[in-house]
Amino acid sequence: MNLNIKANKNNTFDAIVVGSGMSGGFAAKELTERGLKVLMIERGHEIKHIEGYDTAMKQPWEIEHRGKTTNISAEERWANSRFWGLGSEEVVNHLTNDKENPYIEKRPFDWIRAYHTGGKSMHWGRQSYRWGKHDFEANAKEGVGVDWPIRYEDLEPWYTHVEKFVGVSGQKEGLAVLPDGHFLPPMPMFAPESYFRKVMADRLNRPVTIGRIANLTQPQDIHTSLGRASCQYRNKCQRGCPYGGYYSSLSGSIPAAMRTNRLSILHDSIVAEVIYDEQKKRASGVRIINQNTMKTEEFFAKIIFLNAGSINTAALMLNSKSNRFQNGFGNDSDQVGRNLMDHQLGSGAMASIDGFEDDYVFGQRPNALYIPRFRNWGNDKQTSYLRGFGYQGGASREGWDRGANQDGFGEDFKNNMTKPGPWSIRIGGFGEILPNPNNRIYLDSEKKDKWGIPMIVTDAAFVENDWAMRKDIVASAVEMLETAGFKNVTPYDRPTHMGLGIHDMGTARMGRDPKTSVLNAFNQVHDCKNVFVTDGAAMASSSCVNPSITYMALTARAADFAVKAMKKKEL
Amino acid sequence: MKRRELIKNVALMMGGALSAPTLMAMDNWENALKPQVVGAAFSLTETQRKIVAEIAELIIPKTDTPGAKDVGVPGFIEMMLNDCYKAPEQQSFVEGLTSMERVKFLELNTDERRGVLKLLEQETKKVSGKITPFWRLMKELTLLGYFTSEAGIQSSFEYVQVPGKLENIKINPGQKSYAY
Repeated sequence: MNLNIKANKNNTFDAIVVGSGMSGGFAAKELTERGLKVLMIERGHEIKHIEGYDTAMKQPWEIEHRGKTTNISAEERWANSRFWGLGSEEVVNHLTNDKENPYIEKRPFDWIRAYHTGGKSMHWGRQSYRWGKHDFEANAKEGVGVDWPIRYEDLEPWYTHVEKFVGVSGQKEGLAVLPDGHFLPPMPMFAPESYFRKVMADRLNRPVTIGRIANLTQPQDIHTSLGRASCQYRNKCQRGCPYGGYYSSLSGSIPAAMRTNRLSILHDSIVAEVIYDEQKKRASGVRIINQNTMKTEEFFAKIIFLNAGSINTAALMLNSKSNRFQNGFGNDSDQVGRNLMDHQLGSGAMASIDGFEDDYVFGQRPNALYIPRFRNWGNDKQTSYLRGFGYQGGASREGWDRGANQDGFGEDFKNNMTKPGPWSIRIGGFGEILPNPNNRIYLDSEKKDKWGIPMIVTDAAFVENDWAMRKDIVASAVEMLETAGFKNVTPYDRPTHMGLGIHDMGTARMGRDPKTSVLNAFNQVHDCKNVFVTDGAAMASSSCVNPSITYMALTARAADFAVKAMKKKEL
Repeated sequence: MKRRELIKNVALMMGGALSAPTLMAMDNWENALKPQVVGAAFSLTETQRKIVAEIAELIIPKTDTPGAKDVGVPGFIEMMLNDCYKAPEQQSFVEGLTSMERVKFLELNTDERRGVLKLLEQETKKVSGKITPFWRLMKELTLLGYFTSEAGIQSSFEYVQVPGKLENIKINPGQKSYAY
């Protein structure tokens, strides 16, 4: 996948994209398709689509510890495995070794990283929801953080553009709270879920829809031309999909960029610094350190897209100091690294379902139900917290593992475990977290990593608004499952840290005023217009829906703007 | 004397099959469950290995399909405890085995062994705390080892590696679960 970098004698490109994940991949695609020669720089090792998915086709018995995290792995991947159990052999080679890439937790933060081609786009939950109009307006209305410099209408065509390319399956519902998108056919709901949907609509007026997910239910030419095929319903997406059934940079944006013959990718290269040209008053390029050889090198371009992931993007900006930017690149506002947000999760309720014994499912659905936000929406007004949450979850028939929780052993027990068990259901909340300047990352003034780059310190935690919302997430989940008449309704509330949502964002926010924000309405750094930040760092608020397609839509919009501005010699 | 009654019930349930020495040994259950000091490294004696194998086989016996021993569950359990569990669980497991040794588990006949396990299952429900008790570890790991083994999957379920489609279906009488 690497092109010969040496062929480019001056190490000079039209554009540099830092990072190959969800937004970096999309930046590379959009820029190369508009004629730019692009260098994408990935800090981690190379993973090739399909052949790099080393565990994808393994049978259950070929996974030695059968999905459990070993003690060795738990020690090496302490952040990945602390709550998520992301140290299992199925995925362990694709998530970052935390011991080799440590960070400092002033307050605990579960920083989940994937330093390789495609980044976390290889591992994402694929849930793809547009923001609503209210999401862009809430900060201004409530006096929280800063006002978004854009509105839903600015992003709407770019959502469509992204959805078409990515391939999102979903059901149109005509809801203002969760705008419809350009969808492939929806995945089916299971029998008890359809019942649940009906009861919630009839008795609580709360819509329940099937998850909108970036798995191909009916591939179009735009997908098959890249070698992507329909989802095979194995539900082993986290290992990487050899069918290209779900969207990632590896299956989608990088192949699309490569076929323009204008993309070069540099692996194992940590961008340590954005180089600022004091005379020209613009960024001229980046300085990289090869993570294996420790060799440093500089690359140059007319425009630079920072897509390293919100925390690393902020850290890179803070580490890029010059006469002009003594407080860190683009950091006149002192907002770089601040307003770190995520989504809270880990609470909700579960229940057992009587009946539906004749209903079963063939195939494994890599998807869930979605219950859009209903709090502080319409006539609902909560006094104890702002914003709201959505639920994700679903029903399934229990498998053999139910045996551990029930009495018995021996022949009948064994035979019973080979049959589908009763249905059960679980719904868990994803709650919006507000921007808060005290939730932040910064660089340690003394400690450095093995590449000599200052270590990142996380200093963030939930606040009162989050705890009040969390109580309601649990109570409302119980209410809904009880209203549906399900049995043994059991609340759950697993203590978590920020970060666990793996939706870290907000550390270089967009805004209208350079004094209080880092980026303008087209994701340009206010005081250095040839640098764009289009990963999660750009977010001025977090909504409660999964963020990836919003990052991609912002990226595509910024790339389009950048190329047009370059053509008009404005950049 | 709730415990004594429970043991009597177990004895009744098995048609009074428990021998007097076994009953006495089981009467000392409480003592048997007290923490024992174990070394830092987790290892099992040959006798303990045999007990693990016999209990696993009682949980998932050989029928017209393979049993726990056939598919290597005993070795799997030990490997998992070594590789994926920390000292408190390892200790809890060894303590459980020690108490099995005290009731001379290997000298009991099959019905008596089943009686001991039924009692153990009931006793385990009373245990609270963070450390997973012996019976729970034994049962979870036996199920995991068996139902994810090649022979266990192939003989227990309809194994479909690549479903290729997703459909709501009606269940057939006696239908086995799908495994993927």
